[in-house]
Amino acid sequence: MAEELESKITDEHRAFIGRKSDPVSFTVREQDANRLLGLLDDHDPRWAAGSGKAPPYVLGLMQTARRGAMPSILPGGIMTQQEWRFTRPFRVGEELKAITQVIDIRDRLGGRYGYSVLVTSSTDFFDTNDEHVAAILITVTQFDPKAARGSE
Amino acid sequence: MSEMRSMNQRYFEDIRPDEELPPVEKLPTEDLAVEFFGRDNPVNPAFADAEAGRRMGVGGALVPGNLKLAWLVQYANDWAGPEGRVTSLRAVFRRPDVAGRPLTLAGRVVDLRQEDDRNIVELEVVTLAEGQPSVRGSMQVELPGRR
Repeated sequence: MAEELESKITDEHRAFIGRKSDPVSFTVREQDANRLLGLLDDHDPRWAAGSGKAPPYVLGLMQTARRGAMPSILPGGIMTQQEWRFTRPFRVGEELKAITQVIDIRDRLGGRYGYSVLVTSSTDFFDTNDEHVAAILITVTQFDPKAARGSE
Repeated sequence: MSEMRSMNQRYFEDIRPDEELPPVEKLPTEDLAVEFFGRDNPVNPAFADAEAGRRMGVGGALVPGNLKLAWLVQYANDWAGPEGRVTSLRAVFRRPDVAGRPLTLAGRVVDLRQEDDRNIVELEVVTLAEGQPSVRGSMQVELPGRR
């Protein structure tokens, strides 16, 4: 028999969808690019030190620029999906503007968390000419740790 | 430029559906897990502290999901060669990985198409820990043509 779903998503939560954050600055720092190149043992000349380019995976550091209001519906949260999109290469030293918005909120029933809520948000990064550079899309599964089943 | 050309370049015309990318092994050490975001910027204490990871029930320091995505982007860029480029990665985190346990990166070509004068290759990629997928993803890569 199907479990009955009692949604905890309210109209107040739904009102977050589509609301854009204020822009947040993020600088592609040379020391971060070089640190990641060293950690990943990446010798690709396209973004080697001195090339003026940063490796595409510096995008992984830019989640610190994701500052938009996110609804907190359940007390626990874990990132379950992520998407990276690259419109053009990153330039070392450039300052980017990040704008975040919630794009979807939905209920989920089943799995290890029992009832959970999926909150999907996107962050777009623009350069000083307002040209699109990259984007991150993240889905966080919010859950109640007390209701979660033991790990598999 | 000559240095770039010394890397192995793939061309769109040479790629076949179902072609497998050579697997690559990575060892996510605890230092790597901590250093990815920088020691002065701990995004999540479980990346920096094996004990915190154990309290969360994952058995040690967590490997940041973004480190695994970074490896996958590097993996596909290396495969594509210097004139190719990764344009997107979509990943689902299936289970956490613990620092100190090796990961294998693997991939396969699932689709090829030409769109707006671009040569697009779709890859299916995965990180495997003890044979089990921890991240599954799909990637889009642009490759040059021979002509």
